[in-house]
Amino acid sequence: MNFIKRGFLGITRKKGKSLILLAVIFILGNLISGAISIQQATTNVEANIKERLGATATVELDYEEMDKLSEADWENTVIEDLSVDLMKQIGELSYVKYYDFNIMHWLGSESIDSYQGDMEGEVVHHGPSMDFMLKGINYAPVLDIEEQKAKLVDGRVFTQEEVDNGTSVAIISNKLAEKNNLNVGDTFTLVNEVYTWDEETGEDNLVTSRDVVLEIIGIFESQTIKQDDSEGSSEMGGMMDFMDIEFQNTVYVPNPIIVDEMKYQYEEYLKADEEYAEMVAAEGEEASFEYYTPLYVLNNPEDSEAFAEEVAPLLPNLYKVHSATDQYDSIAGPVESMSNLSRYVLYAAIGATVLIIGLVVLLFLRDRKRELGIYLSLGEKRGRVIGQILIEVMVIALIAISLSLFTGNLIAGQVSETMINADDQSYQDDYMYYGGAIQTHLTTQDVLDSYEVSLNSSFVLAFFGIGLLTILISTVIPLIYILRLNPKKILM
Amino acid sequence: MILEAKDLNYFYQDGEQRRYILKDTSISFEKGKFYTILGQSGSGKTTLLSLLSALDSPHSGTVLFNNEDIKKIGYEKYRRNNVGIIFQSYNLIPTFTAVENVLIPMTITENDVPEDAKTVAYNLLDYIGIVKSKADRPVNKLSGGEQQRVAIARALATNVELILADEPTGNLDEEMEQEIIDIFKRLAHEHDKCVVVVTHSNEIALQSDQAFLLRKGVLTAYE
Ligand SMILES: Nc1ncnc2c1ncn2[C@@H]1O[C@H](COP(=O)(O)OP(=O)(O)OP(=O)(O)O)[C@@H](O)[C@H]1O
Ligand SMILES: [Mg+2]
Repeated sequence: MNFIKRGFLGITRKKGKSLILLAVIFILGNLISGAISIQQATTNVEANIKERLGATATVELDYEEMDKLSEADWENTVIEDLSVDLMKQIGELSYVKYYDFNIMHWLGSESIDSYQGDMEGEVVHHGPSMDFMLKGINYAPVLDIEEQKAKLVDGRVFTQEEVDNGTSVAIISNKLAEKNNLNVGDTFTLVNEVYTWDEETGEDNLVTSRDVVLEIIGIFESQTIKQDDSEGSSEMGGMMDFMDIEFQNTVYVPNPIIVDEMKYQYEEYLKADEEYAEMVAAEGEEASFEYYTPLYVLNNPEDSEAFAEEVAPLLPNLYKVHSATDQYDSIAGPVESMSNLSRYVLYAAIGATVLIIGLVVLLFLRDRKRELGIYLSLGEKRGRVIGQILIEVMVIALIAISLSLFTGNLIAGQVSETMINADDQSYQDDYMYYGGAIQTHLTTQDVLDSYEVSLNSSFVLAFFGIGLLTILISTVIPLIYILRLNPKKILM
Repeated sequence: MILEAKDLNYFYQDGEQRRYILKDTSISFEKGKFYTILGQSGSGKTTLLSLLSALDSPHSGTVLFNNEDIKKIGYEKYRRNNVGIIFQSYNLIPTFTAVENVLIPMTITENDVPEDAKTVAYNLLDYIGIVKSKADRPVNKLSGGEQQRVAIARALATNVELILADEPTGNLDEEMEQEIIDIFKRLAHEHDKCVVVVTHSNEIALQSDQAFLLRKGVLTAYE
């Protein structure tokens, strides 16, 4: 009849009391279990979506911040350019796996045709053709290839020497190559045309042009469209097609080539438009064409916040870090609100548990005052009397918690399904972040699709940890009562 | 001397004044004897017994068990290993059977407990007058006299030499009272225990080897 055995007998001999305690803990356990289930599910969604959004970040102008500036502020605000040195400095941070800085330029061609996909013939050209997007790169292995957005199917990537010297070499898509019968080793010609615009007629006038001859060193295949085919919500389809066509018509070249072409265009334009030339001369500023957009691939999507924090102080006024994971906040609305709600439920449930279980245990203890006094009069250590009560409560708690583990999880699944379905209507208007250095195409629907309440080991662990600890605390508080018991007063 | 109380003082604070229940009270007990302590209601009998059984501590004075201060032994340890206490209201644990109630102190004490504790507990109950069929009943299904017998068996379970009882027959009829007193006599005389019983009853006092009278905080021999 030691205190452990007494504890177990205390449960079986007083079944009514045990059942009441079991029921109370079970009900509260369901709340805690459900709240933790939802918490875990939302955390998993966040990790999953952020993983899919990728670990990329860029530095760009903070338009929100600029909007806040008053006219007076503008007077004394100078927007500096992002220097190549700074972009490189940021690239050296430990969070960064590799990085690139790019500059884009659109050119047309008379000798090759652009890829138009399903929209063949639908697109009618007005004015100068600019079908080909030249994407200048500084990172010779090409980030898009390293990041599996594109796969090199033939030839090779750039050498650092080619990149630094601005050698006239290019990597094009297999679709573009097929359409124009081009192979690695072939050259193709784009035209850099300089136009002026007639204000009165609204017409473009070709001033001059020059050929840009590029040798194909590699051919890539797009990897992004494949996954999207299967998901293909029709509304998204058009956008996806458009993005795909642009990607198929992308021509990777070293940065200096683009800088050079832009410079040519600018200088020729100045020659053609004297008025403008005078204006520029009056300002007396040297024109720069090195408007690069940096792109940093981080080691881990979870590093995004830390990276942004570390970079922020290095940036010139009005610039900010934009991470792919930033988009999470804008598409995770329903999941976030569920996460918040479940957090409040969790705190409330823990609070209620401590209060209710504490009171129930205290009532039971007062009921058993005499029994406890007897143990003490027989010389039992107070610690063991406490141990006996803890066993009685914790064994029941363990059973109740184990039961509510499953039911709470089930309830959480049901509740969140209802909430998601209710939310579904209000989030029909999917929003896509398009443009800039980072392009993501995940939507609220993707977030909801990846939301799943599951019974995994980390949930089981978290629930048993939090649940049992809460019960333990709620039991220990009334146990102070035992420490203050005076057996003489109770028994004599 | 197995138990000796020296100059015990115990009082309640009554406003500014101290109301002494025990004043410089001394008393001593030997093994093999059956003692009674008589006194009117409110005279402080229970108070004295609570000090002797280490359920309370005096404001001054000492209680010696085998010449060792029980404070030094440790009150809890003294209760666990050296003394068996019997109360007027039995104080058994109602959810447990008689034999389970007897077994409880055996798991608390540090004294040697026989291997077959359960058999010993049954034998002990049998000796006190509780047959096996009753020993396996929850104690709240036993009569008052039977319950007090179980309480005596519980006090004896740890094989102590000192039994202290506070009005053990206060709730029992005369016939039952005599049976219980006979058990105490047997324990003292046949088993060499020291049995101290607090009582109202002259009858009982007359049967004891030595009786004391507690009056106004002072103990005197009672003839
Ligand atoms: N908490 C207390 N505060 C003040 N006085 C108390 C307190 N407890 C007991 N007393 C007083 O102490 C005195 C002794 O009490 P005690 O219980 O020892 O008497 P007793 O001889 O056992 O009486 P009885 O025969 O009725 O059991 C009584 O007069 C009682 O009123
Ligand atoms: Mg009394």
